[in-house]
Amino acid sequence: MSPEPEDEVIICRCEEVSRKEILEAIAEGARTVNEVKMRTRAGMGLCQGKTCRRLVSRILAEQTGQPMGEIAPATFRPPVRPVPIGVLASKDDEGQSDAS
Amino acid sequence: MLPDVVVIGGGIVGCACAYYLSREGVRVCLVEKGTIASGTSRAGQSHIVLWEEPDINLQLEKASRDLYEELSEELPFDIEYRRTGSMAIVENPADWEAFARTVRSLQARGLNCQLLQNDDLIRLEPNLAPDLAGGAFFPEDAQVNPILTTLALAQAARERGADIRLFTEVTGIALSDHRVAAVETTAGRIPTARVVDAAGVWSAAIGKMVGVDIPVIPRRGHIIVTEPVPENLIHCKIILAAGYMQTLGATTGVALSANIQQTRSGNLLLGSSRDFAGFDRSVNPAVIQAQAARNLRFLPALADIHVIRTYAGLRPYSPDLVPIIGEADSVKGFYIATGHEGAGITMGPITGKLISEIITGKAPTVPLEPLSLRRFSQRQEED
Repeated sequence: MSPEPEDEVIICRCEEVSRKEILEAIAEGARTVNEVKMRTRAGMGLCQGKTCRRLVSRILAEQTGQPMGEIAPATFRPPVRPVPIGVLASKDDEGQSDAS
Repeated sequence: MLPDVVVIGGGIVGCACAYYLSREGVRVCLVEKGTIASGTSRAGQSHIVLWEEPDINLQLEKASRDLYEELSEELPFDIEYRRTGSMAIVENPADWEAFARTVRSLQARGLNCQLLQNDDLIRLEPNLAPDLAGGAFFPEDAQVNPILTTLALAQAARERGADIRLFTEVTGIALSDHRVAAVETTAGRIPTARVVDAAGVWSAAIGKMVGVDIPVIPRRGHIIVTEPVPENLIHCKIILAAGYMQTLGATTGVALSANIQQTRSGNLLLGSSRDFAGFDRSVNPAVIQAQAARNLRFLPALADIHVIRTYAGLRPYSPDLVPIIGEADSVKGFYIATGHEGAGITMGPITGKLISEIITGKAPTVPLEPLSLRRFSQRQEED
């Protein structure tokens, strides 16, 4: 089977994971978004899967014949937006923002 | 065909058992209630360290690291194993003498490691806080990607004939005359004469099914993941505060330490916390804040680096911090492989090898008596 040009499309932009790599993970047995994530890193980057998690679900649905709604979604992890460690570590900053 | 052995649990320990058993030609069926590496094995960091006491653990760690050298060659895909070495760092001058004694004692027992005075430390790692007392370098230590390792062990076991059943939860174990007869699951009954309880934080619940009391409870840990950072931020890819060793023994409150690791993908994994919160895997923001502060104390350059993800997982805590590996005395065919606390990744391979050696009747790589379940009841009798 020769690769289709559309398989070169990047699905996870943060980690530069192509559709081809997602298809390979599914061929190896991945059936959930988390399993695809653990094998390919799709969704592990700066945006934490905001863009790609639905795309990955859709590819899983199309490849396995399961309805979109039945594909187990990826885990959401805090903090939803990137935060500098200096800010995260500082109790005082939080107190000030509460007061202002 | 009926399996010779049913392994319960698709974490690193269960997958290593399935791998080493199937390599010996044993017919293995592995049952996992979720997916491979969906519990503790995906919730840790990346280190393989050879200096966690007591002596029996040192032996397990060394033997397992040696197996990793082989696994990194023989598994079906890259597990991101590399011999990075690790560095322990000491914050306060008051703690230096006790730390130096520990390092010298490890050296006396044959471990390759060297003490680093403050100026040595700063020369090697110029981004560390300049006021640290010193540290030590452990060149034998290594790093691996735990998730990829667990997946690769499962795949290699499958290639050698293991039957791996996901989304299959164990509901009971049938005995016949104090021997294992079958495993009952949500997907049907599996007749077998041997079961390996590699269910980690859930191993006590499995033991209860056959009346075996396994003193393993979940101990929560938090990890902070940063964006990828330049390779020259830290040169040694595993840097941990020496105070980490004291947190292992803490039994109340939240024990915190700094543990800075850079993975192959360039991200930092910042540990570590330890607390007992039952089976609660949720992230506690107060712990994350304190853990971030602890790591920042040792590596001030972290201040501007972004956190992209945090997670918490559960370590299978055994009361003496030594894993439990071996056959139960009271139930023939019930084998236990659990209680590794934070060392499941380090000790996973040797645990799988030992279980395979026990079941196939081969001489064990590491002495088994200190790992037995009966050590706990013997100690009670001695008390």
